[in-house]
Order: sequence, then C-alpha cells, then structure tokens
Amino acid sequence: MNEITNNPDLCEKALDVLHEVIDPEIGLNIVDLGLIYQLDFDTEEKVIYCTMTLTTQFCPMGESIQDGVTNCLQFNFPEYRADIILTFDPPWSMEKISPEGLDWLNGGSRF
Amino acid sequence: MFAPVAGVNPTKTTSHRVIIPFYVYAALSFIVGCVLLFTSSGAFTGPHFQPQLLAITHVMALGWGSMMILGASHQLVPVLIEGKLYSNVLAYLSFGFAGVGIILLVWAFYHFDFGWTAQVGGLLILIAFLFYLVNIIASMRNGNHKNVHATFVLAGTLWMILTISLGVLLIFNFTFNVLSMSSVSYLPLHAHLGIIGWFLMLVMGVGSRLIPMFLISKYSNEKRLWQVFYLVNAGLLLFYVSFILYPVQWLYIISTVLVVTAIALFIQFAFKAYKARIRKAVDPQVKIALGSSWMMLIPAIMLAFVFATSQLSTHFEKLVLVYGFCIFFGWISAIIFGMTFKTLPFILWNKKFHKKAGVSRTPNPRELFSQPVFRTMVGFYFGGFILFITGIFLANVLVLQIGAGLLIICSVLFNLNVFRMLRFKS
Repeated sequence: MNEITNNPDLCEKALDVLHEVIDPEIGLNIVDLGLIYQLDFDTEEKVIYCTMTLTTQFCPMGESIQDGVTNCLQFNFPEYRADIILTFDPPWSMEKISPEGLDWLNGGSRF
Repeated sequence: MFAPVAGVNPTKTTSHRVIIPFYVYAALSFIVGCVLLFTSSGAFTGPHFQPQLLAITHVMALGWGSMMILGASHQLVPVLIEGKLYSNVLAYLSFGFAGVGIILLVWAFYHFDFGWTAQVGGLLILIAFLFYLVNIIASMRNGNHKNVHATFVLAGTLWMILTISLGVLLIFNFTFNVLSMSSVSYLPLHAHLGIIGWFLMLVMGVGSRLIPMFLISKYSNEKRLWQVFYLVNAGLLLFYVSFILYPVQWLYIISTVLVVTAIALFIQFAFKAYKARIRKAVDPQVKIALGSSWMMLIPAIMLAFVFATSQLSTHFEKLVLVYGFCIFFGWISAIIFGMTFKTLPFILWNKKFHKKAGVSRTPNPRELFSQPVFRTMVGFYFGGFILFITGIFLANVLVLQIGAGLLIICSVLFNLNVFRMLRFKS
C-alpha cells in the first residue's frame, strides 16, 4: 500500500485549478460550492484521489461535473491519474458554500 | 471518513435519447394547437362542446402538456426518488404508444368521429400511461420511495389513468351506450380528474422539489407539502364520489374549496422558498415558472364565476371557455415555457460538452438557446393570451384570430429555440 498524503502544496494547487470547474446550473465553481471534500495525492502510483459530492443524487449535471473534475486534474497534473470517490455521506448542504461563494450568489463580484 | 457510494452510480442519469423525443413531440403539438386555435376561432363564440374545441383541448392536454411532463419526469423522477429510472424501454414504449394514440384521437375528434380511430387512439394512450406507471412504481421500489414529491407523481399518474379510462369509456359510450348518461354529461368529471389529478399533482410534486433546488433556498416544509397532498386528493375524491353518487352543488363547492386551499398553500410554499433563497438572481425561466403558480388562481376565479352563474345565463358558456383556455394556454403553457428552457439546455449541454468540462471553455447552458427569442416569445405569448380571452368575452372572431395569430408566432419562436438547442454544434 502506497502512502497517500495530503501534500499541502499539491492540494492547494489542485484546489486552485478546480476553481475552473463550474456547476453549469448554478454558475458557481465547485470548490466554493463545497462539493470537494478531500484531496489526496499518491505520489508513488501517481494517483490523485478526489473525494467529492454533488448537490443532489442523480443530478442531471452530475456526470458532467465529475468528468470536469477528472479532466481538470489530469490536464493540470499530467503525470497523475485522477480517481473520483463520490460520496453522499455526509450529503451536501448549503452550509458547505464558502463565504466567497455566498457573496457571489448574493450578487457580489469577488470572482 | 467519507463513505463512498456503493451500488448504482448516482451520476448516471436518464439518457437524453429517452427524453428528447417527448420534448420534440410536445413542441410540434404546441404549433398544431395554436394553428387549430386560429382556424377554429369561430368555434369560441359558441358552446363549449364542439369537435374543433375537443381536438384543441386534447392536442394541448396530451400532445403539449402531457408529452412534455412525461419527457421531463423521466429525467426528474430519478432526482425525486434518488434512484435510477427503472427502464428506458418502457419510456420508449410510453412515447410510441402515446405519440400514435394522440394523433388518432385528435384526428377523430376534429372530424367528430367516435368510431375505431378514436377508440384505438384512446386505448393506445391508456397503454402508454400504464407503461409509465409500471416504470414509476419499479423505479420507486429501487429508490427512496417514501418522499412526498414521488408520492405526488405516483398519485398523479393513477389519477391520469383513471381520467384516460373514463375518457375511453366516454368514446365507446357514443357507439355502444355503456354508461347510464350521455358522454357529454361526464365531461366535467373527465376534465377535472385530468387537470387536477394529473397536471396539478405533477406540477406540485415536481415543483416543490425543483423550486427550492433552482433557487438554492433554505426553506423546506415537508409537513406542509403532505397537507397540500391530502387536501388535493380529498377534494378530488369528494368531487368524484359526489359526481357519481350524489351530484349536488354544495359538495362540488366543498371539493373546490379543498383544492383551492391546497393551491393557496402551495403558492405560499413557493413564495417562502423564494424569500429564503440564497441565490439572489433569478433567471427568466424560473421567474415565468414561479409566475405560473399565480396563474393557477385565474382558472380558480373563473370556476367561482361558473358556480355563481346560472347555466342558463348567456355568460356561462363564455366563462367555461375562458376557464379551459386559461388552464391549457395559460397555466400549463407558462410552466412548460419556464421548465423547457430550464431543463432542456442542461440535458443537451450534458450530451455535447461533458467531455470538455474542466479543460476548455464551454458555453453556458443558457447560451444554447437565444435569450432575445425567448423574451420575444414571452411577449407574443402574453399578448395573444390576453387578446384571445378578450375575444371570447366579446365573441369577436377578428380579436380571437389576432390573439391566435400572436400565439402561433409564440409557438414558432418556441420551436425555433428548441431546435436551435438540438442542433447546437459543440
């Protein structure tokens, strides 16, 4: 079993690039929407494990969002393979939206 | 620690191939309905039981309203029950049987022919809804079947099957006298089982889930939704039983009060969800769908006038016509406008762009259709809607034709946008 670490630098960079993945219905990026729960890098096997959720199960946009995360991580970390771990435990709730995300939804323009 | 999803992949939603035929059929039916409205304008100055009006009502109720609802619900039921749609094949069968049945039925009604064409048409539509019922029940068994939204959909489907069964009996009654009274005397029962049992129940069940979801609203009140559910069903059951066993006006009034109370509580629910929304900007599609909640009250007011007016009054027929028009061209059409441009762009965006998401610039789903065409369509819609009602009250064919003409333009613009989305190149 390879050691899987929450490498802070890599995680920060991954989170940064995941801001490019937008929930098409809401228009907000998935990081500020609170869909990303955890990122882990397996630096030996070159795998990024991304634990994430969706706003609702069987969301019509779910596949696109999941593909968007995979595409984005593999595009920005070409030496890594992205492995998405989808969870609804705990389920997404509005409390998971970041202050920046709330500001944007309120009509603010931080982005 | 997070528990990964086991079993069915909850991102695998219903294929667009299942949904799109329903949307296309509904969009084309809308044009047919509006053209028939124009060519049959004169019929709106007479009594409400006429072949052209029967044909228009069924194009709008089945071809436009029901086909759109069937299409959207095959996509949305998995969201409501948090489970996969049981069968795509059953969905295709529903489409095929309903698609052929509606054409036969409308053709027969337009020619006032209650022979085999209408009989086969009615039976095909009944079989289509039985396929849909099996699909819904089987899907619910595999998903979270105890939620109020799915219960609305299931009960609505059962009411619709009762409505169609009665409709088929009425058709056969014209030829074989299977009922104790004439078919015409059962029309109020047939119409209200469909309007309230099917359309209202589906709109409430799906709307109560989607309105807070689209608005990102903190408001939820499942207890209130159950109250709405019981009020509507109690009202309908009372109406059904009193119509068959004890047809007196005070029982009809009680059943109407129950349903109107449910509508008022639903509007209150939608309004509270709107007030508690996190997302302040509301797009035009959701606005028009929310506005259609208020449009439910127009037919309710018309119904009050119908009750208050003696059947011998010269205004009675006009009120009945306006009542029916407000339901199919008002409330149901407004909801469809809103929800088509809120759901179809995302279904098609998913098909065309999901492979490119996250790595290259993709259009916003709203860019798949033309916003100016949508706004122009809404303008023609309201103009045509108001003018046509005015024409009914004035019994003026020219005003009716101008109103219908505006609605034809609205239906063409609606189709332009739908086909623009379907043909959008990635």
